[in-house]
Amino acid sequence: MGSIIRFRFSVGSEVRFLSHLDLLRTLERALRRTGLPIAHTEGFNPRPKMSFGFALPVGVMSWAEYGDFEFNEKVSPHAFETLYNEHLPQGFRVLAAETLPEGTPALMSVINAARYQIYIPGGSAAEVKERVDWLKQVDTFVIERQTKKGVRKVNLRPLLLEVGPISPVGGGVEITTLSSLGKQGNLRIDELGQLLDFPYRDAVITRTAQLIMDGEEFREPMEIGVRDE
Amino acid sequence: MDKRLEPLLPYVQKPARYTNGELNAVHKEWADQITKVALAFPDIYDVGMGNLGFKILYEIINARPDALAERAYAPWLDMQQLMEERGIPLTVLESGRDLVEFDFVGFTLQHELSHTNIIKMMDLAGIPRFSHERGEEHPFIIAGGPCAYNVEPLADFFDFVVLGEGEEVINEILDLYAASRKSKGDKADFLRKVARLEGVYVPSFYTPVYTDDGMYAGLEPVEEGVPSKIRKRVLADMNTVPIPEEFVVPYVDAVHDRAMVEIMRGCSRGCRFCQAGMIYRPVRERDPELLKETLRKLVAATGYDEISLSSLSSGDYSQIGTLVTDLIAEFGPCGVGVSLPSLRLDSFGVELAEEIQKTRKTGLTFAPEAGTQRLRDVINKNVSDEDLKQVVQGAFSAGWYSIKLYFMIGLPTETEEDLDGIARLAHQVLQWGRKYGTGQRLPQVSVSVSSFVPKPHTPFQWMGQNTMEELREKQKYLKKALRHPGIRFNYPRVEESFVEAVFARGDRRLGPVLARAVDLGCQFDSWTDCFQFELWMQAFSDCGIDPHWYAQRTREFGETLPWDHLDPGLEKEFLLYEWQRALRGEPTPDCRWDYCSDCGVCPNLLVDIALAGGEA
Repeated sequence: MGSIIRFRFSVGSEVRFLSHLDLLRTLERALRRTGLPIAHTEGFNPRPKMSFGFALPVGVMSWAEYGDFEFNEKVSPHAFETLYNEHLPQGFRVLAAETLPEGTPALMSVINAARYQIYIPGGSAAEVKERVDWLKQVDTFVIERQTKKGVRKVNLRPLLLEVGPISPVGGGVEITTLSSLGKQGNLRIDELGQLLDFPYRDAVITRTAQLIMDGEEFREPMEIGVRDE
Repeated sequence: MDKRLEPLLPYVQKPARYTNGELNAVHKEWADQITKVALAFPDIYDVGMGNLGFKILYEIINARPDALAERAYAPWLDMQQLMEERGIPLTVLESGRDLVEFDFVGFTLQHELSHTNIIKMMDLAGIPRFSHERGEEHPFIIAGGPCAYNVEPLADFFDFVVLGEGEEVINEILDLYAASRKSKGDKADFLRKVARLEGVYVPSFYTPVYTDDGMYAGLEPVEEGVPSKIRKRVLADMNTVPIPEEFVVPYVDAVHDRAMVEIMRGCSRGCRFCQAGMIYRPVRERDPELLKETLRKLVAATGYDEISLSSLSSGDYSQIGTLVTDLIAEFGPCGVGVSLPSLRLDSFGVELAEEIQKTRKTGLTFAPEAGTQRLRDVINKNVSDEDLKQVVQGAFSAGWYSIKLYFMIGLPTETEEDLDGIARLAHQVLQWGRKYGTGQRLPQVSVSVSSFVPKPHTPFQWMGQNTMEELREKQKYLKKALRHPGIRFNYPRVEESFVEAVFARGDRRLGPVLARAVDLGCQFDSWTDCFQFELWMQAFSDCGIDPHWYAQRTREFGETLPWDHLDPGLEKEFLLYEWQRALRGEPTPDCRWDYCSDCGVCPNLLVDIALAGGEA
């Protein structure tokens, strides 16, 4: 009897410049190195059965990336966590793992918000506060988004849900934000920079959460599983 | 991650090329007494990571307690610009140190159009270009690889060059260097010693001689006791040297990013245009059990999902059928596929294709090289129309829908009939696809036609290349003949083949042209978007060099050639004899299965053909 394991992992500074595809390939290769009985898709080109949360922007670190791996045999989440950590390259770390009950919806179909912690070197807390106050008063902040199908106008304002504490740190300012992520609406990291008016390439950004937001209630994707050890 | 590069990374394409920290990268301590070698690849990381020779040297050097090897690649243009603006020199990946801090910087000479990148990398590293400009404070700039067999255009840039297979000679060089350091010898002292190693060429110990009318007349030694010919290094037994088992696994999408194992070295098919087939002789196969054991370790150490059996002509490996079957049986259940690059028509059984297809569908590529049987006999590509028919029909019946065909134009004795032959074959293959195809998609034929570049140490080494006008005419003719739904026609620019031809058979007078070309902005010349022909022509003209004289002039058989002292073990008489047979359209059989063709390699180098089956 097989099993699906959901896990949360971190992406550190040394691997933050990987593209999404690079990251997936790296995780897949590490999984193969564990020798665990990963399930494969059928057909001429069998692929390991693995799925993930939303792509981490290039250059951004994270404490809250998620993956679901399907195995042909029962694999204990604890054993998985230990073994996978042994085989992941430096910069990746599994922080939690659970067995997923059957019928749990895919990560991508439920995650709809993300929290970022942003350090802006040389940024001023006063200026950020002023910007946030102004944003609170406006309903629209329209930009042109380049998509595969061409340029599309997008109102970014409703995609920024919350700006948390704004604190001066060292020679800059640190802020936390909550923004939409996923299919219903997605605020990209460069767009977050445009909204809050900071140079996103020079900022130190960490994704601290991917959340399932239901009205006023927030759930973390790991909470779906039931610990069975 | 290099602290100087880190702030630049958000501003460049594919930043993970520059971040280091890949799985299996070796980080050794920089102790004083350790010899430091930078392996420098004259192209971007994504290309260089696929090079097997680099992996071999990396593992051998790092296995030594008294040496370390780190890697450097050419930064892409966006990164170069940022580095130059901020005064950041070229660094290696592992330790982030400047190239100038190493004892040796070793470049690989893969093809003529990467020459400018070597010079550009020295510029970026702040290392003087020419060997005579460098002092005790600079590393030895050394090189090896296929273009070492005519390194003359680059001779003035390198301190020494290694000819042939590197597995053994690299250790000899490092031993010698360690001894030289112990005895506090200077660079000149070491050069004199290293020049005595078989396979090592120190260009500055020789000076070229030219006749009054500008003909090259040979090299004169300026140092006592140096050999008049530098003979290549060759391994007698492929089973006793280290095989890389812990590839550095790149994060970015890189070429040949899979578990690659070299199943044999050398090819004695004897295609007369092919330099690799001449300079890597003789054929030496590896033991299949050793290969399987290596692949087990390699897959376990990397997590790759694809195994690649690499060689010049993998279908010719004497145990190929059982090897592929065994590998698929063992690795298939783990989701690891098998691929076979460089297959030949005649040796490629449809059964083998089907075997591979079970786990993974890869594209099928065939290289008839010429459009008619007559011309294939001239170039000794012993493939018949009947072979092609059987294989292609078999492939379509087995479910393949996409076939890629490789040809060349500008081959000796080529006529319009041969061009028509290319078009006829392409249409024929498409027809077979429509008739026998069982795939879910419409048959596709992709035809790649390159312009022939005569190469040193081949039977065609004397022949003048077609003029650019002739080649363009032929391309135009084919373009018209191949305009058809279902057929795709690709061809590189003739200007690139022209520059390649100039340097392939160049002499030392071309060194200044390379330097000038880099000054003018030439680099990444093998990237079609970066190749700037006008700048090349300006560089030639600024240096008073007529490039056509090098590319298009047919040499006299008695002429001294700029690569005569660089010796892969072939007899010149054999090459000449092969040229005469070519003109008569007489094929020469493969010495693995037929009589010895007297190329000279085995007796000259004291080696033998070695087949895994034990025969020959």
